[in-house]
Amino acid sequence: MEYGKNISVQNAKLWYGDFQALKGIDMEISEHSVTAFIGPSGCGKSTFLKCFNRMNDLVNGCKIEGNFKIGEVDIYDKATDVNELRKNVGMVFQKPNPFPMSVYDNIAYGPRTFGIKKRKQLDEIVENSLRAAAMWEELKDRLSKSALGLSGGQQQRLCIARALAVKPKIILMDEPTSALDPISTGKIEELCEELKSTTTIVIVTHNMQQATRISDKTGFFLMGELVEYGDTDDIFNAPKRTETERYITGRFG
Amino acid sequence: MIKTKIKEGISKALFAIAAVLCIVAVAAIFLFLITESFPAFRKIGFFRFLFGETWKPNVDDRLTETPTGQYGIWKMLAGTLVSTVGAVGIGGTLGFFTAVFLSRFCPVKLKGAFYAVINLLAGIPSVIYGFFGIYVLSPMLGFLSPNGSGSGVLATSIVLGIMILPTVTSLSKIALDTVPKGYYEGARAIGATHEQAVYRAVVPAARSGIAASLILAVGRALGETMAVTMVAGNAVNYPTSLFKSFRTLTANIVMEMGYAGELQMGALVASGVVLLLFVLLIVLAGQVLRGKNGRQRNGKKRGIAAVERWLYQLKIEKIGKTVCWASAIFTGGVLFFLIGWIVVNGAPHLSWKFVFGNYSIVDHASYTIAPSLAATLMTVAVSIAISVPLGVATAVYLQEYAKKNSKAVKIIRASIDILSGVPSIVYALFGAITFKMWLGGNVSILAGSFTVTLMLLPIVVRSTEESLLTVSDALRAGSFALGAGKVRTIFKIVLPSALPGILTAVILAVGRVVSESAPFIYTMGSSIQPMPNGYRSSGTTLAVALYCFAGEGRYMNEAFATAFVLILLVFCLNVLAQILGKALTKKWKGEENGVRKKHQRAKR
Repeated sequence: MEYGKNISVQNAKLWYGDFQALKGIDMEISEHSVTAFIGPSGCGKSTFLKCFNRMNDLVNGCKIEGNFKIGEVDIYDKATDVNELRKNVGMVFQKPNPFPMSVYDNIAYGPRTFGIKKRKQLDEIVENSLRAAAMWEELKDRLSKSALGLSGGQQQRLCIARALAVKPKIILMDEPTSALDPISTGKIEELCEELKSTTTIVIVTHNMQQATRISDKTGFFLMGELVEYGDTDDIFNAPKRTETERYITGRFG
Repeated sequence: MIKTKIKEGISKALFAIAAVLCIVAVAAIFLFLITESFPAFRKIGFFRFLFGETWKPNVDDRLTETPTGQYGIWKMLAGTLVSTVGAVGIGGTLGFFTAVFLSRFCPVKLKGAFYAVINLLAGIPSVIYGFFGIYVLSPMLGFLSPNGSGSGVLATSIVLGIMILPTVTSLSKIALDTVPKGYYEGARAIGATHEQAVYRAVVPAARSGIAASLILAVGRALGETMAVTMVAGNAVNYPTSLFKSFRTLTANIVMEMGYAGELQMGALVASGVVLLLFVLLIVLAGQVLRGKNGRQRNGKKRGIAAVERWLYQLKIEKIGKTVCWASAIFTGGVLFFLIGWIVVNGAPHLSWKFVFGNYSIVDHASYTIAPSLAATLMTVAVSIAISVPLGVATAVYLQEYAKKNSKAVKIIRASIDILSGVPSIVYALFGAITFKMWLGGNVSILAGSFTVTLMLLPIVVRSTEESLLTVSDALRAGSFALGAGKVRTIFKIVLPSALPGILTAVILAVGRVVSESAPFIYTMGSSIQPMPNGYRSSGTTLAVALYCFAGEGRYMNEAFATAFVLILLVFCLNVLAQILGKALTKKWKGEENGVRKKHQRAKR
């Protein structure tokens, strides 16, 4: 069984205790694409995203049903190793969360987790990951400095580089720019475009302009349901459902 | 992958074992208190014990026979309550106003130094306060006293009050400092004066933190043993006047447990249980207060409202500034005087020979504290080596593995909370009866070390839990999202981030061992001995040595020098804690701080 770069979900349902947060969602995400999830707060978009790397496992009282496949792997199968899954499906969080250690150690954390110990090999991974995140020139002279000394935007790009270091097939981004200034946001959007060639990207965003700028496909979520899903151009230019139209024209949410 | 799974399994098991050991220790103490006190309660009768006015134990009374002595603790209970109320009245009031001063009125230049001194004093052994009580306070009060003796209710309240002053001040100051800026600015923005804003907006917002500091102070005053024994007079009397000689429950335990008969010992443990019940009440009061605070927006408690009305009538904001300055000057004066008194009298008698020289029991001129220093270090080594790994592992299990809302975890946490407030004399009872017996019935450094280990466990668990709580969940999530397992996340991310807090807790624990005296007297020994030649020797720690020197009254120079060494030790531990804290923060966040400082400098 191989992890692939495409995601296939059928009838996803999720409960936090008694509250049903996802009410039966089907979705196909193809490889090397950027998919944006939009919708008002509490609509279930982040929850759905976190199903793909099983971060919801960490939430007490969370129950999940449905069929989730990444490539050929059924990720909720009993035989699935969660850590292996998360190696293949990386994640970037809403707030930058660099570890309180050096830039180098932050990036090397993932590879080291999976048993890479040789300095030379790690050096190479660190350089490649930082290059892929377009930060090598900025950071090559301060690899041994604490990552907490970087600016917010740099920290978030470092977190992307950190995720890239284990060579994931898919990267999940949970509102990665909501805590950043416009310039840093622009840099991360550019990065998404570039990463598309090597990975599949799924991004949750509150910013509809951002969705139109970077995504190929867009899914609109409301009250735990996927109201509309299709090519980004179609969703924003010719939405089929009135809820979608009302949301993207800013009448609620 | 299988290797990782095994690693995960083993680590989880190890953490769980530590937690179980810790829980067993906690349970053992409760079990001990119940089984040891129950027969005595039954023989004496619960009400006769609690409300009986006469304490005349008969050493020959057995648990199986009808008692011939009388075992009523009512007078001592009254003594404990009165001295605690007195102490909190004095220390709490002064501490509160000093904290307001430190937080809101203190000139910036003075602030750092003053706060450092307050923190230093919070860690000073209580025997030093007792020592100060005997030789400074009592003689001074003696001039006022109708019976010529300065010891008694007033002296005890003042000594305890001074002892809790630093704790109240330090914790209340932190509570006041953490009030959001907006409260003060909002008050100033509608035209309030500085004083009005402080007393009407900031202080009420910090109410729960201030109450918590007072509750901690009540616990300390209630459980203090040695300092009280030194100034109370210790006759079994009602504390009816300021200069009456009286006895507290803790003093009673420490004075009689050395030669207690069977039933008498049971009664002493039973009074330990009574103390425990008080601690329980205090913990509950604290929780109710904390819970109330959230709901207070709707309906204020009548009592608090009344106090506030009274404060309005008092026009506290008009006199607030004066009161603050007066309290701070008084507090600072007393504390500086205390330190100065010991330094001035102790430093001249401090010599290489006194600290490290050979000890001779026959040659009085060559009393040295080298054996006590050695015993202290030995005790610190054992107690820290056991309590820190066990306590940290337990905390990790409770925070990282155990289910957050499970009833069992809540019960365990509550028990640990209670145990961390149990007076050290209760641990002394436990150690003297169990550890001493296991180790052959003789006092030994090992028995003392085990006793204090047990005392440290709840403290280490609680403070480690606090530091683990400060580690942001985002970091844990970040690690999991990279495919790291639980063990790797704990060892590489969580524990390193919590390290400054844990290390501070360890240093505080060391400080606690250095400054405790009550748990050692009947487990380790109460007379100064030659150099210990192993853990089975008896001995005294430095604090107990000070108690011996001061109590006998013939070795004042030695007493001062020992007190000076103790203060030096506490000072060094404080400095060490600060340096370590700063170094670690620098290691993790160094650059950030550096950059920030540069910015600040640039702005000026």
